[in-house]
Amino acid sequence: MRHAAPDCSVIAAAMIAALSLVWPSAPVRAADAGSNPSPQAKDWADLAKLPDWSGVWTPNVSDQDARIKSDPVPWNTQAAAQIQRLVAAEKAGTPKGLFINCLPESMPSWMLITHNALEFLFTPGRVTLLGESDGNRLRRIYTDGRAHPADPDPTFHGHSIGHWEGDTLVVDTVGVLPQTYIAVDEAVGLPNNGDLHVIERIHLAAPNVLHDDLEIIAPHVLTKPWHTTRIYFRQRSRKYDIVEGVCLQGSFSDGVDEAGNAVFVPAPQTEDGNLVPPGK
Amino acid sequence: MISTTYEGAHVKSLPTLRLAAVLSGVLLAGVPAFAHHSFAMFDFANTTKMPATVKEFRWTNPHVTLLVVSMPKPGEPEELWSLELTSPGNLTRLGWSRKSFATGDRVDLEFNPLRDGKHGGAFKKATIVATGQVLTSNLREAERPDLK
Repeated sequence: MRHAAPDCSVIAAAMIAALSLVWPSAPVRAADAGSNPSPQAKDWADLAKLPDWSGVWTPNVSDQDARIKSDPVPWNTQAAAQIQRLVAAEKAGTPKGLFINCLPESMPSWMLITHNALEFLFTPGRVTLLGESDGNRLRRIYTDGRAHPADPDPTFHGHSIGHWEGDTLVVDTVGVLPQTYIAVDEAVGLPNNGDLHVIERIHLAAPNVLHDDLEIIAPHVLTKPWHTTRIYFRQRSRKYDIVEGVCLQGSFSDGVDEAGNAVFVPAPQTEDGNLVPPGK
Repeated sequence: MISTTYEGAHVKSLPTLRLAAVLSGVLLAGVPAFAHHSFAMFDFANTTKMPATVKEFRWTNPHVTLLVVSMPKPGEPEELWSLELTSPGNLTRLGWSRKSFATGDRVDLEFNPLRDGKHGGAFKKATIVATGQVLTSNLREAERPDLK
């Protein structure tokens, strides 16, 4: 009597399907922990229930600047002393850039200080942020219900999982390298020094205005979680389409090798990565 | 020292460029490096105005650079100046392209100079003399949605 009792997998599938009615990003099929199920038509259809975040989003840079004062970073005593020196150097016109080595701006600075555009892609079980800066870096945010790995390999952008609360995407990020900066601009910021945890609530504040409300928990440099917001404007004009952004390109000049091939020739950089002017 | 690579492939003969590559260790001294950096070394409280001729327009990430030769007063030497801008992507959104300037264009420039007095600055505005076209690059003037 193989079919006398209900199959447990049928019950599980029904429960998950019911859940998906209230939470479009929930997994619609049972899947073992080690595999990503093939999306079905319903998975793609469920994406239409999500808010429309299409288009290209440009950052409100003036607001980034203003929040240095309005949302001060709660640096601990040791960090504050270092920040004071960095601010003084910047005011004196002798900044030491944080990102001059062209390593990724990383989390959370990628969201905090970028001057470049980004876009969102919704696919079943995932939201992907595609950026223009940092060599067109991207963030993968898993919305398929998975948890963080127990001991993730530290990376520049960490491991991000998300879920939808109404029209707000709540993103939780851990597993970020301790060297990545908590920065307020390109020359003022400090490494998070480990155990970084970032919680974001991303939502439309107006039809074409997106807010990323960030809570940044960095126990080795902050006295308490830092709450701040970053604002992005939606653009639809095609001249706003995201283009290639290769950070190291400017460190090379165009050249031709001995065989006549077009090549990049390394250009010398100053110690602090600033522009080398042609002399006085 | 002025690098030959400032002049670019459009104005240099192939043999000269080959020589430049072979001797890059010497000839590239002074080529600007444009890592992703702060703009705090520029004096935004002061604006310098300068008539100049475009020598090279480097449409590269993460910062575009305009290299110009000043138009000196009689008896004074020409000077090479390097003006830095935001990224190609951001400039595209402000209406620029990699062809916004051509080598040899006469321009009236406004820029925020380097604080240390060297021949560099943060680009502010250029008027192309032949056409009257004005180019600006202030991202903060384009902070609203649905820009056309």
